[in-house]
Amino acid sequence: MLQRRITERCRIVMQDRKSLVLVAPAFAWLTAFMVVPCLLILALAFFRRGIYGGIEYDITFENFAMVLDPLYARIFLKSAWIAGLAALIAAVLGYAAAYAIASMPRHRQPALLFFAILPFWSNYLVRTYAWIVLLNREGLIVGIARALGFSGEMPQMLYTEGAVVLGLVYNYLPFVILAAYAPLSRLNPEISEASRDLGAGRWTTFRRVILPITLPGVATGFVFVFVLSIGNFVTPALLGGGQFQMIGNLVYDQFLSANDWPFGSALSMVLIAVMLVLLTAQTFANERASTGRQSAEPADG
Amino acid sequence: MTTLLSIRNVEKHFGRVRAVNGVSLDIRENEFFALLGSSGSGKTTLLRMLAGFETLSAGQILLNGRDISNVAPNHRPVNLMFQSYALFPHMSVAQNIAYGLEMEKLPRAEIRARVDEILSTIQLSALAARKPEQLSGGQRQRVALARALVKRPQLLLLDEPLGALDKKLRSEMQLELKRIQHQFGITFVIVTHDQEEALVMADRIAILQHGELVQCAPPREVYEHPATRFAAEFIGVMNFIPVQRDGAKLTAADGSAIHAAIPEGLGADIVAAVRPERLRLDAENCDNRLSGRILATAYHGLDLQVHVAIPAMAKPMVCRVTADAAEARDFKADDILTLGWNSADTRLFAA
Repeated sequence: MLQRRITERCRIVMQDRKSLVLVAPAFAWLTAFMVVPCLLILALAFFRRGIYGGIEYDITFENFAMVLDPLYARIFLKSAWIAGLAALIAAVLGYAAAYAIASMPRHRQPALLFFAILPFWSNYLVRTYAWIVLLNREGLIVGIARALGFSGEMPQMLYTEGAVVLGLVYNYLPFVILAAYAPLSRLNPEISEASRDLGAGRWTTFRRVILPITLPGVATGFVFVFVLSIGNFVTPALLGGGQFQMIGNLVYDQFLSANDWPFGSALSMVLIAVMLVLLTAQTFANERASTGRQSAEPADG
Repeated sequence: MTTLLSIRNVEKHFGRVRAVNGVSLDIRENEFFALLGSSGSGKTTLLRMLAGFETLSAGQILLNGRDISNVAPNHRPVNLMFQSYALFPHMSVAQNIAYGLEMEKLPRAEIRARVDEILSTIQLSALAARKPEQLSGGQRQRVALARALVKRPQLLLLDEPLGALDKKLRSEMQLELKRIQHQFGITFVIVTHDQEEALVMADRIAILQHGELVQCAPPREVYEHPATRFAAEFIGVMNFIPVQRDGAKLTAADGSAIHAAIPEGLGADIVAAVRPERLRLDAENCDNRLSGRILATAYHGLDLQVHVAIPAMAKPMVCRVTADAAEARDFKADDILTLGWNSADTRLFAA
């Protein structure tokens, strides 16, 4: 037993050495272009803004204190609300789409998946501008409504919170579809048949068997959409209009118009911290779900 | 015994393929019934039709005289133990077993009592809180069986229940399954491609070939009196001797006379068949004899199998010599050996 443990250990160490060589280039790249810039930004957050937009190098925490200012905290909360709403809608729609694709005949699934992901390969800006064309006061949707005989006052669609959520959902939906499709397509069809055989109807089978087994995939998709949405500044700027601000726009403004790099840095750091906490929690949850199954030694029977 | 399940002229077409083609079977109460066939014989399709996962292209399935052909799987008093076991990975052993009872909306206390009872029957009480991934193959198999049995179905279907187990565990579980079937008094219909498994466990065996029923009989009859050449070949080992018929006279390729009762309806081209264990070394006491050269011997522990090449026959004859007889005599390759057997042990089929 002990002998086996030791040889197992040795094997892992050898594997580690081999994988270290393989992982080194990516690691170097990440360090140079990701970790170092992040550290620079982090350092910047502790300095003071000069009167003319420069930086004064004396240590201070007031940038972080300013983040808690109700004015900015509200923008944080609003961003979280919008990102959460977008992630929730994307998770529901994406799961439904993935479910539909996974229940098609096997040989058709790759093509369907390809079409579901297809918009993703076009430019983000183009996709977002397309929504301006659609949601515009004289846009396509209004045009169609008019053509169908609707003559009343059309509600404002573009430059609303709804338009921002719509844009985020549209852009990030493929993530959820991919994340949810993986566990759904791996699911042994005999599992849902077993549920039916034991007396469950289709809905109960879905609620008690299929959904719980495939939920980790949806959760991954949800966190992805949330993290990508909360820091997004293009969609709120284009579909939310000039007055609409999310945390990404605030950061953008600090760096490019207000010239307050230290405050912008503090804002980004808090944002990155929020993202990291979420992604780490998600990773841990996934890990626990999978190792809980594998690590326990199967007893012989 | 009364008939529990009546399969009447059942057919299943997948496009142009007839997976099941006009099968009729009556399965009795308390019977251990085996559907035996190679892959593509339609045995699994037939089983899935009994469970309600395949619709019928034609025919009827009656359970206690009631037509259940169009009843949904969740409304049939029939349970299926899946080949992959299909345990719910996110539920514990106890939750897996309780699931079917929860679907019946039974009181919590009763569910608990029945789960505990069946867990002790299958000797897994200690592992009730484990997840399926934490169990060995044999334990998973028992959980899958318990999950289906706890529902107390009138009919339990088992799709290759022992297929994933190793050989030793498999032969233990064959007897265990028989014991459980007897204890619960439930009709078992098992699908298997393993003829030995079917012989050991089943009260009756139905042999399927290309979606059609070849023979349905108790194991001994299937083995001793196979209905067709296919059945004879599929179950156990069989020696086939092509013979020429001239009236009531049968002649093997090397000119030896073969004596056997000729059933009606056989033409001129006939193949005679005899089991390896019916071949005897004291050939002078038998009315059928063939001589040939020993090709090879295969030692199986329990017995020695001697392969003998008969002149003008394409395939060698296989003779089973019991362990003590094998010790008494030395079988060397190229030695001439005369094999004998009785006309009563000879079966005849159309070639």
